[in-house]
Amino acid sequence: MPKPGFKKQWKREHDDRAIDTHGNYEQRRVTFKLGRGHGGFNNKYKNKDLSNAIRDHLEEEDIDMNLGSVSGKNFRRSGGYKKGKGHRGSPTPGNYRKLLECQSGWYKVSIPYGGNQEKSFLQKLFLDKVAPLSFWPIAWQTNGTTVIFYVDEYKVAEKLLSLDKQVQLPTGYRLIVKVHPGSPNISYQDLEYSKEKLKLVLAKRYNTNNKALDLSKFHADPELQDMCFALYKPIILSTVMDIVAQNIPDLEAISLNNNRLMNLETLKNGFKKTPHVKILHLANNKIRDVANLDALMKLPVIDLVLDGNPLCNKFRDKDTYISEVRKRFPKCIKLDGIDLPPPISFDISEETHLPDGQQTFLCNSEGEVIVRQFLEQYFQIYDTENRQPLLQAYHEHAVFSLTMAYPYGYGKEKNVSWLNWYNTDNRNILKLTDGDRRFKLLRQGHLSVVSYLQEMPQTKHDIHSFTVDLTIFTPHMISLTISGMYKELKSGHKIPPTRFFFRTLVIVPAGTGFCIANDLLHVSNATPDQAKEAFKTPSLPTPPSGTAAPPSTPEASPIIPPVSVAVSPILDKSTKEEMVKQIALKTGMNWEWSLKCLEGNDWDFVRAVGVFENLQSQGRIPVDAFVK
Amino acid sequence: MDMDQFKGKVDQACRIAEEFTKLYYETIDKRRHLMSRLYLNTGILSWNGNGIKGNEQIEKFIIELPPSDHALTTLDAQPVLDVAVNGQLTFIIQASGTVKYQDKSPKTFQQNFVVTAQGDKWKIVSDCFRIQEPLNK
Repeated sequence: MPKPGFKKQWKREHDDRAIDTHGNYEQRRVTFKLGRGHGGFNNKYKNKDLSNAIRDHLEEEDIDMNLGSVSGKNFRRSGGYKKGKGHRGSPTPGNYRKLLECQSGWYKVSIPYGGNQEKSFLQKLFLDKVAPLSFWPIAWQTNGTTVIFYVDEYKVAEKLLSLDKQVQLPTGYRLIVKVHPGSPNISYQDLEYSKEKLKLVLAKRYNTNNKALDLSKFHADPELQDMCFALYKPIILSTVMDIVAQNIPDLEAISLNNNRLMNLETLKNGFKKTPHVKILHLANNKIRDVANLDALMKLPVIDLVLDGNPLCNKFRDKDTYISEVRKRFPKCIKLDGIDLPPPISFDISEETHLPDGQQTFLCNSEGEVIVRQFLEQYFQIYDTENRQPLLQAYHEHAVFSLTMAYPYGYGKEKNVSWLNWYNTDNRNILKLTDGDRRFKLLRQGHLSVVSYLQEMPQTKHDIHSFTVDLTIFTPHMISLTISGMYKELKSGHKIPPTRFFFRTLVIVPAGTGFCIANDLLHVSNATPDQAKEAFKTPSLPTPPSGTAAPPSTPEASPIIPPVSVAVSPILDKSTKEEMVKQIALKTGMNWEWSLKCLEGNDWDFVRAVGVFENLQSQGRIPVDAFVK
Repeated sequence: MDMDQFKGKVDQACRIAEEFTKLYYETIDKRRHLMSRLYLNTGILSWNGNGIKGNEQIEKFIIELPPSDHALTTLDAQPVLDVAVNGQLTFIIQASGTVKYQDKSPKTFQQNFVVTAQGDKWKIVSDCFRIQEPLNK
């Protein structure tokens, strides 16, 4: 039991701080580093050690919200090394001051009155004096007359401290050199401003050929010397990893050597968006325990470097070390640059991959031209206000039905464009058990089909998004599946929704062309991923409604005669008779008046019905019309 | 064809579609070694645009896919018009739903089948499957 009294107070004070706040509490070095590196049997010591480590870390994480206050208070209080001596109780001779090696490995050097000298002069002076060591003074600044900079090496810091009052300037003044553990703070604002620069530095350090990013000793990058971009600070690391995630999601190799990394949780978040990292170099960091690697377990790492981390010294033997690493990274075949014996696995691979999707499948290449022309013409007409000309594209007895469903994960939420319109006629036989209803929702005959198509919301299809599968191509029958995206227009949505459709067509030859016998349409919403891809290629302007669509592929037209989806308003006698019959059925009018109604509307079925309904509502249809 | 006769065919199409899809998705999820029996010898599958011809080849292809778990959301069926199939009893079935491969998160899919009567067995003439996601993913 340690002595009560101030020591206990110490401890409580620190514990409280560690729990209470991540903010700007004062920096004090505690030097009773008992238990460090020893076994974990003594919990109290272990915790203490850990809380030191955490505190160290948190201190480094401080964000200086008001720049320039590299404050006096830090100066005064960071003289922890003196206290350290006291605690140890080891008698130290007079003026000798020893700088203790700190966890973060960063030291703040201040030179009172150094501001009176030229920066280059001072830099050269120090470089000469610490030789053969070399160093980069990081984040050099002058605060009043005091020069402050930072170094990231204990030996350099120690050497600099030894120069205190030992160097005489030409003026006779002996230079004061103060060195304390500490690293420069960086503000959110500075970090925001630095993002573009960081991007350039990352680009420079990225090798596109092997998808490898070299972030080793990142803070020492010559282009990043104005501030301290030390990756062991979570704020810096997460900013850098965000940029990586946004710009290099297919990253496969990364070196983070020599960055004093301790906490890997920040990396875990960063790697979430770069899940393919298989080469991971973490040499010479401050990773204390192999369990810290749990944070990165999801990565498919095959080549790992951990050399130079405290965790490496904790293993009895090499086999335990390898086995602990393999627990986290079962696919690892190279550790610290040495090939490992391949892990013994089963002959059935755990993971099989889905074959890549193809845009088009044609069971018969002869079908290509016909299919393309048919689809181009069909959707050109379909995307106009008047779909009536599609009558020619359907067989007299054609059948049509519709189903709808939301894509998985994008159901009826607030920001989803509802598919209510389609729901009314959803012929989903999983839910629709009534035979009559099933029959009724099957539109039969080309008039009924096209008048339904006319009722459907207006559309603009993105033909470039289409996938086409031609699975049957015989002289009697073509089976064709199309999927793709369209914008739904004028349907009461503020922004025209992007829909996805999947449509099966059975097509039969008719005259010189072809027509649809069966049509099954499935409507859904485009997923956000799909919507991003939609309408990327600008399409040709749609010709005015009612005009024949010219074959838009010039090389195709000479080969075969235009497919007779092409619109001709000439209807044969039996079609006209059928139309009259349908109008009579729909309106209740007799044959004569139904005929009149159609003739008066240029045999436009939908218009005829519209005119009838309009006049009927005004009571302007004579009673005679309904006498049969 | 008169109306009643056609309605009979429509009823049959729906009934066969329900039975067929139940069997098809159970077989593809749990008994893939029987898949070839569901297709005509000359049957054809387009799986996300990858075409496979012949029932044996189709079975081989399906066996290579990761373990799957299909769930249907919608189902629709029509009798194929006689003019296309010359009176041979043939249905066209269209389904949509979700599929999980190897316990990954479900994907939305759509699929259609042309199914015809061969002797006393229903066989797939063509099968077209698409996952609803951008192709270049």
